[in-house]
Parts: sequence; structure tokens; C-alpha cells
Amino acid sequence: MYGTLALQPKVLDEYRKISGDAAIDEIKRLAAPLEGLRVLHLSVTAFGTGVAELLNSAVPVLSDIGLSCQWQVVRPTEEFASCSKALYRSLAGISKEWSTQLSETWLGYSRMNAELLTEEFDVIVVHDPQPAAIRSFVSEEARRKTRWVFRSHLDLSDAEPAGWLALREHVKDYDAIVFDAAAFVRDDMPDVPLSIIPPAIDPLGPRNMELPRNTIENVLMSYGIDPQRPLICQLSPCDPAADFLGCIDIYDQVKQDVPDVQMALIAANPPEDPPSIEHFDEAVRRSMEYVDVHILRGTNEVGNVETNAFQRASSVVVQKGLRKGFGIWISDAQWKERPVVTAASGGLSHQVIDGVTGLIANTIDEFAGGITRILFDPQLARRLGEAGHHHVQENFLLPRFIIDELRLLGALVGTAR
Amino acid sequence: MLGSVPLTPKALEDYRSVIGDEHVEEIRSLAEPLKDARVLHVNATSFGGGVAEILMTLVPLMQDIGLQADWQVIRGTDEFYQVTKAMHNSLQGMFFDWTPEKRDIWLRQNEANAELFDERYDFVVIHDPQPAALRTCVRERDAKLADGKWIWRCHIDLTDAQVEVWEILKPYLNQYDGAIFTAAEYIKDDLLGPQRFVVPPAIDPLSPKNAELDAATSQDILHRYGVDHERPFITQISRFDPWKDPLGVIEVYRIAKRDFPELQLLLIASMAHDDPEGWAWYEKTVRRAGEDFDIHILSNLNGVGNLEVNAFQRTAKVVIQKSVREGFGLVVSEGLWKQRPVVAGRVGGIPLQLIDGVTGYLVSTTDECADRVIDLMRDPALANRMGQTGREFVREHFLITRYLRDYLRIFRTLSSIDPPAELAYGEGEARAK
Repeated sequence: MYGTLALQPKVLDEYRKISGDAAIDEIKRLAAPLEGLRVLHLSVTAFGTGVAELLNSAVPVLSDIGLSCQWQVVRPTEEFASCSKALYRSLAGISKEWSTQLSETWLGYSRMNAELLTEEFDVIVVHDPQPAAIRSFVSEEARRKTRWVFRSHLDLSDAEPAGWLALREHVKDYDAIVFDAAAFVRDDMPDVPLSIIPPAIDPLGPRNMELPRNTIENVLMSYGIDPQRPLICQLSPCDPAADFLGCIDIYDQVKQDVPDVQMALIAANPPEDPPSIEHFDEAVRRSMEYVDVHILRGTNEVGNVETNAFQRASSVVVQKGLRKGFGIWISDAQWKERPVVTAASGGLSHQVIDGVTGLIANTIDEFAGGITRILFDPQLARRLGEAGHHHVQENFLLPRFIIDELRLLGALVGTAR
Repeated sequence: MLGSVPLTPKALEDYRSVIGDEHVEEIRSLAEPLKDARVLHVNATSFGGGVAEILMTLVPLMQDIGLQADWQVIRGTDEFYQVTKAMHNSLQGMFFDWTPEKRDIWLRQNEANAELFDERYDFVVIHDPQPAALRTCVRERDAKLADGKWIWRCHIDLTDAQVEVWEILKPYLNQYDGAIFTAAEYIKDDLLGPQRFVVPPAIDPLSPKNAELDAATSQDILHRYGVDHERPFITQISRFDPWKDPLGVIEVYRIAKRDFPELQLLLIASMAHDDPEGWAWYEKTVRRAGEDFDIHILSNLNGVGNLEVNAFQRTAKVVIQKSVREGFGLVVSEGLWKQRPVVAGRVGGIPLQLIDGVTGYLVSTTDECADRVIDLMRDPALANRMGQTGREFVREHFLITRYLRDYLRIFRTLSSIDPPAELAYGEGEARAK
């Protein structure tokens, strides 16, 4: 077997008060025929990613409703890790570095990892491209008896051909492929049934629990932020797409009209590749020109509850840009009724309906204009916040995700069982 | 310049209510002749780790009291970090096959960073071995840039350092004016160039990890992580490796659970991507916990951060640090600061922080650890009393303001404002006993 993760048990019925009886009863109805179904979610070890967060909540709930659901992780060696990062970057369309040699390394490790599949499962859900080729190397029996699902959380529409062709070869015989959004699907997909299952947030998780005012204020003050003054916040991976420098330009413009405004930029992960390191460094230097621009570092410091506190304290939450996929933390902010201003990139266009559940902006001027409008118009702020909350309630909560998962599983094994 | 680090402002005044007028005034008066002194701290990363945690508070406090303090990080390649990671491990006693090639990788990167070093400072504090050759390299490039007082700050225990690695470092370290060690026992006797000082690490009482947190919020946080806040629990917060003995902690919990069937255990792991050994121990621990859902294993993977750790330490019946080997084990002071009794291994810097039988217990075996946990569970009044005494002890010796004061004294000694003297924790220790 692969690496195991310790998961905390969860109880579906606790979601009843948030998602209502109809959704919970629907889940139970869908789960009944799937009782005892052996499902393995397989991913590479992941920190601070949407995938990890979602599985953290979804797997215990699926277990609670009677499935025999597990999450195991492929532990990469250094070589495999750097090779799969290269694949990821190629598929995200960021680099052209994918080569035959990298392909061979990737397949070599996939062959080794295939030998670790020692238990029998009814369904194996493979998350993201890194472990996707394992299926090609498992026994004939494991391929035949098990339904294989490839779950891409990545937007593949701009993938570099080299990486995509390498991946395509190994997912073409899967039983299902699932994307987070229709826009992430390519035109040249292999002939495999496709589903769309958007991600979701856990409204009962520590990231979304209610926090008393004084806890929030203490967190802000310990980072030198004044809780009495307006705050613009961005929480994001630290790469050029998230555009910390652009954020500081936005701040500079907003400050012309709102002199006491503050900004907090939280880097969710350390910058990894050279362009990201360079970008972070420049942003830090720029931030030093302003006493009220704060760059904070995630990883071991800022955890769920602190992130929660920052979101609750924000006058406006922004997302200047996104390298790939959904910006699920924007849904977290909307759930807290915070007005958001974001780019239209990736999944954000599903999360933010311009003028309704937030504002969409394309340029520094548009961002600054939108933020200033919100800061001057509390009614607009409230309206966007409430509509955002409602939008998340309808579309991005964990029970909806569980329903989609169960439908997919039901369709996959319906006749076979 | 080297890589920049974002800092958030801090004010010494905010600490007045914690440490009292006398200590605040003492710091101000020590800082007086150092006004506008240019201070640069250099280390390898601003992301994560105990050193970064301390600098995040120390540097803004230095700025607040009038020094022109800055913190920068060296730039490195993957190859460099692989070598320095091995270097770090071998300085702590692990065997590593040193080759001239590896030494060159380390040295070349120090040279490259010296090229980026473009200002003169009154005090340059170089942290740990990664950038240790910097002074030599800067001096070779431009002697004027290297003519302030340079201090090597060693955060690791060098007692069992592999000789080959130490010998590589030593000539570069001998170029420094001062060297600071975490404990007197960690001082290398053959490092004769710099003046040697002892400064143990410290915690920031106002950081989100240590600041006050109300009981209701703490309980809600426990609940969100699946812990039953109505039942007692014990906790250990540490990396997962053989030296922190997570399997021993589970054994302690199982023994104590015979007497207290309601007991839960929270093991909080700090995991890193690039640490296969950590993952192997994580898995061993998960397997040992098995189907016992009263054992909660959480980590930064689950998004556990400062406030979570704060809540867990604060609400635990007993905080455990069952190390069989330890650098300093500052987590002991974190637990004591929250008025919880601590049961911890009699190793490394732990005996400096914990007064046996007064603020908790020092233990050497699993059985001893379990017995002490049971004693404290049986006698909540004793547990609370020990916790309160522990907080006062930490207030006196292990807060960041004491750390700041030590640095000011070292700066004054090195610039001959004060007579030469070795700064040691000895006086505090004597008082405690």
C-alpha cells in the first residue's frame, strides 16, 4: 500500500443545519446502494493545495455514510518530485521543459509505484497528473476489476503538447475523467466519459468557523495591522500569476482616495521556481516603500484559523490573478460575506459573477476602481457579500461535492455490482 | 543586495504589561549608545523554522528601539541547499561523506552571495553554517565592507559534530569577532578566534502562537479538528523522528488511559516535503495509533498553524515533550507560558527550561513519563500550580525581550562600550535553583 494519512472522523448529519434536509437526505439515498464500496483516492503528498483540503473533509464524510473510502499518497523521492513538478508545469502551460528523458524517469517511478498497489479496490480515483501513469503498470486483474478515474484539478486547456501527449497516453484507458470546470477540458481528449465536479469548501472546518472579534483583532495587531482601518487582503500561492507587485500598484492607487487603507498579502507557500522567487523578492522590496503593505508567509506560520481571521477582518478580498485552477479561498471569503474583486482567470469566473457575487477586474485601474467603490459604498459591500455567501451556499459547499462524487461512483459501478 | 525579507512592525511598549517597567527601561538604556547602529541579520530562509520565527520578532524590535536593523537571506541553488542540509546534519552528529567537491559548492555559493553584499554595517549577525564563509568572501572582495563587528550565531548543538565538517568551517568562523551559542555545553572549545557568548532562544509572548486566547475559541478550535473538548487530552507538538519519540508518546497515553479511560492524545506534527524520514515516522505513528480514534494526529498538512497550536497547548491537561535527544526544545517554554505543566525528556536544552518537580517533570523513560502524566492528571491543583510557576519562570528567562537584551549587551561588549565579558545564562539558572 501507499502512504497513509491520519484523518479525523466527520459526521454527515452535522451539515444538516447548513445545507438543509433535502441535500443530506439525497446524499443518504445515493450512498445506500454504494455501502461498502471500496474507494481509494490516490494523490501525491500535497500541502496547502485545494486537493488536500478537500480530501481531508470529503474522505471522512464518505466513510461516515458507509463507503469504505481511503486516501493514500505516493511519497515522491527527490528525483520523482522534481520530475513530476516539471510535468505539472508543462501541463499548466508554464514551461516547455518536458523531455523524453523526463518521461522515462516519470514512467520508471510509476512502474515502481504500481507495485505498491497491493489491496483490491472497486474504484481508484487518481488525483492530478503525477500518479496518473501508475494504472499502466498494475496487473491486468487490477485494471479489469477496478474502475479507474482520473481527476484533473488542473486547467489542461493551455498544456504544452509534450507534457499533454505523455499524459494522454496513460489516461486514455481510464473509465472516467473528471475536471473541476468545463473550461479546463481540452478539445483533443481521449474517448473517455467526462464529468465536471467543481471543488467545494468545508463550512464546518477551522477555516470557516466563527471567531470572536478580539481574537481577530489580536491576530491583526500581532502582524502590525490596525484592526480599525480598512484592509485589502490577498491569500495566494506565491508566483508571478498571483502578481504581488500588481497588488502593490493597486494599493498605491486606492490609497490616493482612501489614505488610511492597509494591505496584507499572504503567501500560502514558499516561492519555489526561480521566476517566483524573483517575483517575491521584488514584491518584498516594493512593500518596504509603504508602511501599510504587509507581506506574510504561510506554511508553518499562518494556519487555517489565522487565515480565517484575516478573511473576516478584510474590507475587500482580492485575487489579482491565478496560475491555474480554482481559487477556492475566494469561496471561503464569500462564505464569510466578504466582497471580493478578482481576475476572471480559471475557476474564478465561476466563483465571481461580475457585479453580483463580487467584481471582476482585468487591469490595475479596474481593480483599484472596484476596491475604492466598495470601500466608499458599504451597501454595495454588503450586497456583494450576501450574494457571494448565497452563491457559495448553492454551489460550493461540501455536501454538493459529496452528491456529485456519489453520482459519479454510482454511474461507474451501477451495473457491475 | 541579498534576498529581502518582509517584516511587520513591533513595539517594545506593547511588552511593558508582560515584562514590567524595569525591564523595558533597562532595554532602552542599553540601546541608547547603539542608536542608529546598522545591524544586518543573514540566514538561509525566511520561510519556516525556529530561526525565522525568532528573527521575525527580534529584527522589528531592534528597529523600534532605534537601531537600523535589517534581515536578508542568502540566495542558493538546489545543489547548495542539498549540501548545506547535509552539513547541518553532520554538525549534529550524523555521518556525511564530505568531498572537496561538496565543500566547493558551499564555498562558491558563499562567494556568489558576497558579490551581492554591497553595504557596510556596524554589526553583521550570520546565522548557522550555510552563510558562514560570507565574512571571508566579503573581505576578499572589499575589506571595507567587512570591517564592522561580525558575529556567528550558531543555533545547533555542535557537541557531536563530525570532525571533517567542523574543520572545514573553523577557519572561516575564526574570522568572526563574536560567536553566540544556544547553551554553554554547545560551545566548541577549539573555536578561539571570536569572543564567545551564550544566548538561549526565546518565545514571543505576543505572537499568535503565544498570545492570550479565550477558552471558548480554544474549545471551538478543538472541536473543528475533531477533538472532544469535554474530555481531557495530553499533547506533544514536534517533528516526527526517532529523537522526538512519537511512538513512546502513544505508549505513555495508553498507560495513562488505563487509569483515565476518557483520555485523548493530540500529536501535532510539523512535516516538510523534502523529509522522507519524517514521512516514514509519520506513517509508523499513524499505524501505531491504528483504530484508536482518541489519538488525533494532525499536522501543517491539515492547516494547523499558530492559533491552533496555541489552543492545543492552552487546553491540554499536560504538555509532553518526550524527546530522547533535543536541540533546545523551545516548545517546552511555549507550554509553560500557557500555564500548563510539562513532562519532558531530560535532554538538550530542556533542563534549562523546566525545573524538575516545580514546573513539571524531567523524565528518562516511557514508564517514568507515564507515571508523571498520571500524577498530574490525578492532582489538577498541583498541575495548575506547576503551570503558574512555569509561566513566571518563562517570563523571567525565555521571552524575546530577554533575547533582545542579550544581543544589546553583546553589541556593547564588542564595540567596547562595556568591558569584555562572557554572557551566560548561568546567573538565571543559579537563581532558579
